[in-house]
Amino acid sequence: MEAIKRIFILLGSLDRRIIFLIVGLSVLIPLLKPEWVTLPIRITPESQVMFNEMNKLNEGDKLLLSFEYGPSTKPEIHPMSIAILKHMYAKNILVYGFALWPDGNFMSTEVFSDVSDDYGKKYGTDYVNLGFRPGAEAVVKGIAADIRALYTVDLHGTPINDIPMMKDVFNIEDFDFVFSLSAGYPGSTEWVQFACDPKNIPLSTGCTSIQATDILPYVKNGQIRGILAGMPGAAEYESLVEEELQKMDINIKPGKASGMMAAQSIAHVVIVLFIILGNITYYITRKQTGKDKI
Amino acid sequence: MLFKRHIPLLIVIGVGLLTLFGHFINNTLIQSFVDKDALQWFDIIASFAMFLGALNMLKLQVIKIIKKQKNWQYSILAVVGFAFAIFAGFFYRGANFITISGIQDENLSEVAIIIAEELNETNSFNIENKIMASHDGYEIDKLFITEGNAKLFMEKLTPYVAAAELKSKSWGAHVQTKGSLFYWMFINIITPLGATMFALLAFFVASASYRAFRIRNFEATLLLVAGIILMLGRVPIGGLIPWWAVSILIIFGIGAIVAPFIKERTILLGIVGGGIVIFIITGTLMGWNQNPPYLLSIPVIQDWIFAYPAMAGSRALMIGISLGIVATSFRIIIGLDKSFLGDK
Repeated sequence: MEAIKRIFILLGSLDRRIIFLIVGLSVLIPLLKPEWVTLPIRITPESQVMFNEMNKLNEGDKLLLSFEYGPSTKPEIHPMSIAILKHMYAKNILVYGFALWPDGNFMSTEVFSDVSDDYGKKYGTDYVNLGFRPGAEAVVKGIAADIRALYTVDLHGTPINDIPMMKDVFNIEDFDFVFSLSAGYPGSTEWVQFACDPKNIPLSTGCTSIQATDILPYVKNGQIRGILAGMPGAAEYESLVEEELQKMDINIKPGKASGMMAAQSIAHVVIVLFIILGNITYYITRKQTGKDKI
Repeated sequence: MLFKRHIPLLIVIGVGLLTLFGHFINNTLIQSFVDKDALQWFDIIASFAMFLGALNMLKLQVIKIIKKQKNWQYSILAVVGFAFAIFAGFFYRGANFITISGIQDENLSEVAIIIAEELNETNSFNIENKIMASHDGYEIDKLFITEGNAKLFMEKLTPYVAAAELKSKSWGAHVQTKGSLFYWMFINIITPLGATMFALLAFFVASASYRAFRIRNFEATLLLVAGIILMLGRVPIGGLIPWWAVSILIIFGIGAIVAPFIKERTILLGIVGGGIVIFIITGTLMGWNQNPPYLLSIPVIQDWIFAYPAMAGSRALMIGISLGIVATSFRIIIGLDKSFLGDK
């Protein structure tokens, strides 16, 4: 018994570099060898609602896709934007890119150039990228009131009046759906408060896991229709899109988020094991010394 | 005094009241001001604020270097990074591209092969078709950061084409064009740095939770149990955890919650141990191995925590913050709060 206690105390005082190494390996190994760990993806009700809402859109409908994330949150949100474009392009939905974050411009440029060619989509007629304007909620309100007051040219400097798919688009009421790819402020909350709720335009969002609890009240109220929460949300949506596109005889490669779920799962399990181990050590140490050591 | 205090205060009060009441007054002029003019003003001011912010940042970092304040060496990096971004954005465009025209039919396939090699494409027929379809010259689908590289490639094509022209994407648009120095900087410097900063969180969370996430009291236990359930329930592996493991976790959780009220540790151990045994025997007899109950699934418990306790807390926070914003905004609009003028 004493030997076991000593082992636990030893484990409890592990150098943090060893913890870093174990966490690093628990993430790296599944990323390098995803075939070693295959996990079934469970679709949460919120992701299913979001997918159903997007799937209801018909050919020629207009989607406003807002990019509110940057490199730090790219692993969580970028897979969502790729899956959304694949889904929307397959259904011949017109996509209008906006950015509330300066970094969002780069994210949108990357995703449009990566996906559009595969679906034979042309700039200006099938998708457009209007880019970033400073002003946070003021920009959202501006898009709700009059896009041309804020945007005179697109991201490439082309006057928006010369872009064919901008012909009938003047404000948010000309869109059929808004999707916010959000990693913080300004983001989904601002879309609810300043544009979609007052103008009654359906809105959905994909956000980081940390943000999910902040946005969930809007989802439960129906102000946001479904939510993709973090990388698990992205993986769920990817699998739903894959299934839907297969029905349309379009085969796509599995998305990045699905491949990363094994790494995230194992990392979470490792952290939970560390917490349990730390508590056992804490219990033994406290019993031995008769007081809190930490 | 008049220009430094009274006029700014009047502007804030006037614009604040107008914007606030603009939502309730159905007048075209006011609506137009709130929806369009005010937003454009905001846009202009925000642009200037960005400019001022950049200058201020530069000033602070330079002062830090000159005075050799603590960690001044990092400021050198900040200033160099700032200068490089300015250089890439305003002085060095990159994004050079080549257009070719006047290609004889006999040279077409040779030109297509050279371009395909440069673009790392295996099929040169597509390029051949695109060249044939272009009437005003064919724009090669590759952007070069330096003119030197573009010219080197042009030299390969020169024997086969009548005209090859080197052009650059327009200023402004170059920032968002693959092949510009600015885009290169974003993808190769800012993106990995940003991702690294965020990725480091995983290591710190692991280390911190290992050392600090302790069952000290009721609140800490509740947080710990909810945290573990959320961490496991959000990822696919949570769905694979068997019912008996969840039962043990629940009983440990209950044990930890009641522990402060039971002084005799043997009784506590008996309750926890007995609970686990009873739970497992009951489950086995009731056939939970084949048909596990809905409530003993980590993802289901996680969904419940997310949908009720977490959301209630989130709503409470949201309402509190909103009331605070209303009160602060009202104080600013009626001129009670003058912190924006530098008052304490």
